[in-house]
Amino acid sequence: MAIGKRKKITVAELDRIRRRGAGPMRYYDLVRVSVREVMRKRRRYIGVLASIALGMAGFIVIITMGNDLKKNFNNDLDLLGGATIINVMFEPQNLERQEWFRDRTLEAIARIPGVLDITTVALKTSAVTTWHDRLFGFNLVGCEANYWKVFSFNAKAGRLFDQRDVDEGARVCVVGADLARQIFGSEDAGIGQTLSIDDNLYTVVGILGGVRAGDRALFVFLPITTAKARVVGISQPYSAYVRCATWDDVGSVSKAVPGVVKANQIDRGLRVNVAWEPLKQVQRIFWWVELFIYSSIVATMILGGFGIWNIMMATVTSRTREIGLKKAMGALDSDILYQFLFEALCVTLSSSVFGVILGRVGIEYMSRMLGSRPPEGLFVFCLLMGLGFAAILGVGAGLYPSIRASRMQVVDAMRYE
Amino acid sequence: MSNRYDINDDNALVIDINHLTKNYVTAAGQITVLKDVNLHVRRGEMVAVMGPSGSGKSTLLFVLGLFQPPSTGDYQVAGVDVLSLNRDQQAIFRREMLGFVFQTCDLLENSTVYENLELPLIYAGVPRRERPDRIREALRMVNLDHRVHQPSNRLSGGERQRVSIARALVNEPEFILADEPTGQLDRENSLRVLEYFTKITEEARTAMVVVTHDGMTAEHCTRKCVLTDGYLNG
Ligand SMILES: Nc1ncnc2c1ncn2[C@@H]1O[C@H](COP(=O)(O)OP(=O)(O)O)[C@@H](O)[C@H]1O
Ligand SMILES: [Mg+2]
Repeated sequence: MAIGKRKKITVAELDRIRRRGAGPMRYYDLVRVSVREVMRKRRRYIGVLASIALGMAGFIVIITMGNDLKKNFNNDLDLLGGATIINVMFEPQNLERQEWFRDRTLEAIARIPGVLDITTVALKTSAVTTWHDRLFGFNLVGCEANYWKVFSFNAKAGRLFDQRDVDEGARVCVVGADLARQIFGSEDAGIGQTLSIDDNLYTVVGILGGVRAGDRALFVFLPITTAKARVVGISQPYSAYVRCATWDDVGSVSKAVPGVVKANQIDRGLRVNVAWEPLKQVQRIFWWVELFIYSSIVATMILGGFGIWNIMMATVTSRTREIGLKKAMGALDSDILYQFLFEALCVTLSSSVFGVILGRVGIEYMSRMLGSRPPEGLFVFCLLMGLGFAAILGVGAGLYPSIRASRMQVVDAMRYE
Repeated sequence: MSNRYDINDDNALVIDINHLTKNYVTAAGQITVLKDVNLHVRRGEMVAVMGPSGSGKSTLLFVLGLFQPPSTGDYQVAGVDVLSLNRDQQAIFRREMLGFVFQTCDLLENSTVYENLELPLIYAGVPRRERPDRIREALRMVNLDHRVHQPSNRLSGGERQRVSIARALVNEPEFILADEPTGQLDRENSLRVLEYFTKITEEARTAMVVVTHDGMTAEHCTRKCVLTDGYLNG
């Protein structure tokens, strides 16, 4: 029988036993005991778990989807003021020839970081058409297919011409809403009709719509290729519109443009127009929104951290007797320290796992709403950040209570009622 | 360091306490709870320490269990001068050589009997595959081996105390220290617990000190000491 097996120990052996016992097995067992402890007391951790998980999920969603969200916000807010559209133009000169944009300049501008799109227009200010013996005057604009995207225009009726129309030099046109009403009586009535402009015939394919279409309600738009080929007296592309990805890019893009232009062509009379006021307003609004979002995330996390700290402190006190008992059973100080630390880590790590799952759900939902692909690399980065943060939170909030538990004198623990 | 403790001697001296004193410093000044305590316990002996409340029984027990150091005096367990050990050495010594049975049947809450008995083995670094046998064997000593996987809070008071005896045994100690082990048990359960104690000291020849103020418990011991005015007589 093993019980009653005679044992004798020397001081040297005590240290040897200690070294022998400090294997990975011991940590495995301590982790197992801690996880079990947390699982059995899980109800007391629910609040902390929820707050850390929510904070984590918010953090992951905001960081991962922030840029897409900003772009989307940008689209919506931009309609109000065109804050991210930069107009670059060559001014008319008195004596010398007015410059215009060359293709390679436009391509170079499009490559500036933060530029979403660039489009040029050619203009004829005094075009006319007749319809049933009535004469109408208007501005004729030759534009590219991405013009609509740059200004967030859409078709109020029919369709807006596309890249194929531009490539083919198709004889189609898009008409401003007011002009369409004047000519045809209603917006819809014009679709499919043939308009004669400066002796050329064009099919009306669509009516211009969109929040900022009001400025151009009396315009007619032709594919720029068509306009160049057929319209007598159409201007060179003196003017270009640059759409920035977000309003944060506007400043740097507007600074970079003159240099890029100069590197590619004569830049005489170049002007860069930025709608600074609306831009500042939008930035101010978004700054507050961002501040609010980030501080609520940080607040949730801190609350979670304090929650852990608080629970761990309370736990150490309420489990004084248990600590004494374990020490009586021969637990080393380090065993007690690791046990409490592992418990805190177990709570924060499982919270962060919930947070990551919740965040993933949020990302899927949002990317579906925004119609974009979730950036996986960024998500993985956030996931790792989240786990790292949870570990830091667990150690940070759990360390002091754990040290207190491990340093506790056995007598104090055993005398504690 | 040499150790004269003889593992083949069935009557070897396990506890050797000479001229032990313990003072407490309180706001009211220093009080001397233990004035001159001498205690010698051999293998197979079960010594009762009795005394009125406040006489210093718990104080002596905590000193015996290495929970607190005495003020002066010598204390050797199984040939080792335990007072010269550092904190970790004491902890290891405690789990290798000492077993505890407390009055309040202290079992870990929300745990099974197995988990309660496994903990000392974890601390002692006993390999996993050896644990079930060790645990079952310890439980067999108190006839509870059929309750291995029962949750500890579904046991009766007597059963709980028997589980804590098994837990004290699981690391095969040379010396078992019991604090009012029958304090919260009825007569029948007390008798059973005491029978197990007798069985352990006789079969395993473990040395045992039982702190109690209960006469019946003391009667079951091989020897009886009384703590009065800081002196241990008997
Ligand atoms: N930590 C301490 N500080 C000061 N006095 C103490 C302390 N622990 C115990 N005492 C005192 O020592 C005396 C003996 O206490 P104790 O050992 O608990 O006696 P018993 O267990 O026999 O009732 C009591 O008067 C008690 O108030
Ligand atoms: Mg007492």
